[in-house]
Amino acid sequence: MEDQRQHIGPPRWSQRLLRFFLRKEYLEEIEGDIDEIFEDYLEQHSVKKARRLYNKEVLKVLKPSLTKRLIGTQKLNYLGMLQHNLLIAIRGFRRHKTTFLINLIGLSTGLAAALLIFLWVDDERSVDTFHEKDDRLYWIMTNFAINDDIQTREYSPGKLAQALVNDFPEVEDAVRVANNYFRPKGTMSFGDHHFKASGLFASTNFFDVLSYELVLGNPKKVLSDKTSVVISEELAIKMFGDSESSIGKTVVWENRFFDTEYVISGVFKSPPKNASNQFNVVLSYQKLIEINKWADHWNGAFAETYAVLKEETDINEFNQKIANYLNTKTDTDRFTLFAQQYSKNYLYGKYEGGIQTGGRIENVRLFTFIAVFILAIACINFMNLSTAQASKKLKEVGVKKAIGANRPILILQFLSESILLAIISFFVSIGLVVLVLPQFNTISGKVIDLQLNGYLLPILLLVTFTGIFAGSYPAFYLSRFKPVAILKGRIGNLRGEEWVRKGLVVVQFSLSIIFIVGVIVINRQIEYTQSKELGYDRSDIVTFRDHGKGYPNPVPFFNELEKIPGVLNASNFIGDFLSADETQNNFSWKEGQEDDSYLFMSPMIGYDFIETIGMEIVAGRSFSREYNDNNRTIILNESAVRFMELENPIGTKISLGRGQTREIVGVVKDFHYGSLHQKIEPMIMRCRDRGKQYFVKLRPGSEVETLARIEEAFKRINSKQNLEASFLQDDYTELYDTENRVAGLSNYMTGIAIIISCLGLFGLAAFTAERRTKEIGIRKILGASRLTIMRILTRMFMRIVLVAIVLALPIGYFVVESWLQNFAYAIELQWWFFVIAGASALLVAWLTVGFQTFKAATVNPAQILRNE
Amino acid sequence: MKKTKLGEFEELVLMTVVVLQEEAYGVEIKRELEERLNETLSVGSIQSALKRMEEKGFLTSEFGEATQKRGGKRKRIYSATPYAHRVLKEMKDVRSQLWAAMPNVATS
Repeated sequence: MEDQRQHIGPPRWSQRLLRFFLRKEYLEEIEGDIDEIFEDYLEQHSVKKARRLYNKEVLKVLKPSLTKRLIGTQKLNYLGMLQHNLLIAIRGFRRHKTTFLINLIGLSTGLAAALLIFLWVDDERSVDTFHEKDDRLYWIMTNFAINDDIQTREYSPGKLAQALVNDFPEVEDAVRVANNYFRPKGTMSFGDHHFKASGLFASTNFFDVLSYELVLGNPKKVLSDKTSVVISEELAIKMFGDSESSIGKTVVWENRFFDTEYVISGVFKSPPKNASNQFNVVLSYQKLIEINKWADHWNGAFAETYAVLKEETDINEFNQKIANYLNTKTDTDRFTLFAQQYSKNYLYGKYEGGIQTGGRIENVRLFTFIAVFILAIACINFMNLSTAQASKKLKEVGVKKAIGANRPILILQFLSESILLAIISFFVSIGLVVLVLPQFNTISGKVIDLQLNGYLLPILLLVTFTGIFAGSYPAFYLSRFKPVAILKGRIGNLRGEEWVRKGLVVVQFSLSIIFIVGVIVINRQIEYTQSKELGYDRSDIVTFRDHGKGYPNPVPFFNELEKIPGVLNASNFIGDFLSADETQNNFSWKEGQEDDSYLFMSPMIGYDFIETIGMEIVAGRSFSREYNDNNRTIILNESAVRFMELENPIGTKISLGRGQTREIVGVVKDFHYGSLHQKIEPMIMRCRDRGKQYFVKLRPGSEVETLARIEEAFKRINSKQNLEASFLQDDYTELYDTENRVAGLSNYMTGIAIIISCLGLFGLAAFTAERRTKEIGIRKILGASRLTIMRILTRMFMRIVLVAIVLALPIGYFVVESWLQNFAYAIELQWWFFVIAGASALLVAWLTVGFQTFKAATVNPAQILRNE
Repeated sequence: MKKTKLGEFEELVLMTVVVLQEEAYGVEIKRELEERLNETLSVGSIQSALKRMEEKGFLTSEFGEATQKRGGKRKRIYSATPYAHRVLKEMKDVRSQLWAAMPNVATS
């Protein structure tokens, strides 16, 4: 025991604490004192207690008067050194103004671009996440097996919601709302005042389960009555001035489903701007069932079903359980179900063959990459310029090392310099963001405002990371030199570092060139979508919808239109032509062969439709009132004729099932139904004379006047509605909305990337020219011409850019090739896209460097060499 | 009184230093005072008082010998400066004058 005690020491961590905090000059004495007392304690108490008492003593010793100070010669931290570093950094900025400005402009534009993209990405990610039960709220989707493929649909039978709650213990609650095709959009009238109302049929628990906040009314009851509606606060204020007075008021609502009186039972806050579903009226789903009994039937898919799952439900297990649930309920086994998190649907909304393949998330990723790359380009500028100027800093490093600075301290110094620069740039970039945000919102189609409160931590991280990344290489590079070598003036060779610098410039320019290739291809593709012959003429066509109830006879309206001299032709149809979502199966076209499973594109068009939009008839005739084609005959496109392998299509009768047949009266040339994202598919056009969407072909030149007269005619027949007409051409452009926005954003981002790269190159060229002034002077004296000098100076940079081109073009090729996969009809990649990209990079680089070298080449050699 | 102040606890420590003479180092001062005051003191309180007084010029110090019990670390022996003696004396005078001036109520 006695021997053992010799080895019992005080607690380690406590000892360390003491040594870390106590002032050096006091340490020996005080530690000795406490050790001595510890020995005493050991004699009096158990080891455990002695240690506890020791800890207590140590803690009591840690008083401000005995611990290291924050400033002064004996320090607890490096505050003083940080101060010194910052001072040196600021002096450096002042002395090398050009470099500082280049770095500042580069980093701040880079940060501003990154910030904007960050705001945009964050906004995209926030869509639909406002629901309180977001993590448990799932959208029940349907996979539909058809045409040897699987189509994923957002809608499901109206009975599904309740059945899920009954049959699956995992489902806590479920909501059904009518799907997109059954949205009552029309006019809500109070007295003589008419307002646009976009409604949603929803089950009674709608406000209870989803987080659309109800301002007035009982969330459990507002939808229990078929004759009552809940309106948004915005609409309430528009109609009645304030929300309170709207309760209990009776309004008339007319749309294609009904023209009925409703009592307002509640008011809800308009869906937030990051909600993918925007509506201003909600009414009972029971009303839809009253209108169409299939809305509450297993064989109708009128609803969208959202389920709240119980906590700790394994979603994969649940998906397996529900997959074949519909087989037992419907008369087909083509449907399988799966659940997708509701808020995920916005970003991950694209499916191919039943498998989730992407969606908006692709753009989010694309722009995240772009942001990172732009920031990297800006950081590279800083790295290059600071290492290039190493020789100017070497003396400082040498002296510091000689008087005892070690590497970590020097690394810290250079890092604090770059972090300081990043912080200054950050403030500049905030200014830039504020400046361009309105413009950015127009391009991106968002309503983003700059709110930094919630993002302080990520932004702090971003700025620090940028600073550290930019400063990392110079810091490690500059702190490495041996003091003796530096101070003796033997800095050895800096050749190796030049390679790194060149490499970094190659990276910058490669990225820029990839951006240029991308921009060329995106813009060409958009141009292509706009200029491609679609098989019909979309120019000078206005389109509008009658939001009234039922399907009134359109002939009186056509008669009115006919009287207007500026109207060349007019027609009507059902649905939305450009969204290309009218489909129909159950057709069989061969005698005795019941092949009815193929899903055809199948728009329902009125008389004169083919003539109005100028489709070409290749065989037979168009639909005509003379033949009374309504609901009796069909017209195919060429693809359908080929698909059905019909030799003589005209006159062939096609069975619709249930004993009904339709006769083919004509064949039209293939045309693009919808956007170029979709392939031209076999199509069977049906004839319906009661469509409520109108196409009117105008005589070019007098559009404004003609439109006014059309509106008059429309008003005469539909007194409550306002005419909301748009040009087919614009609607068509709208189909490529995402692409247009991507193009707009990437144009700007590419510009920024190129500018930042050039800034870096500019700085480097300036530096090289400066370092070689003596060489230039001697060369000139020996007879070199200006041109020769310029060639010598630019050669290196041109070589770098050439390497970048060689590296970037293949990568760029792969990137744009995969982007074009999104289109069924895409441009061919031309060799000259890449030549332009490369040549423009080369040209820009040459101009940048050329400016500097010209300056260097024109100096008078006598002036340079005089100082020697 | 623009003179450097001497706190009550500081005064006690200072007097202990004078009493202990050559033995006046941290632990010994602590032991001595603990015995006289009959309460436990921490190294921290003694040390901060010592350092403060050294700064104010009441004490000087030098390293003494190292013992095994101290883990080979040297003691620091404190001694009072003439200035400290003078201040102690002054304070004692002030106190005895005050005692003398006090009416004879406390003893009753």
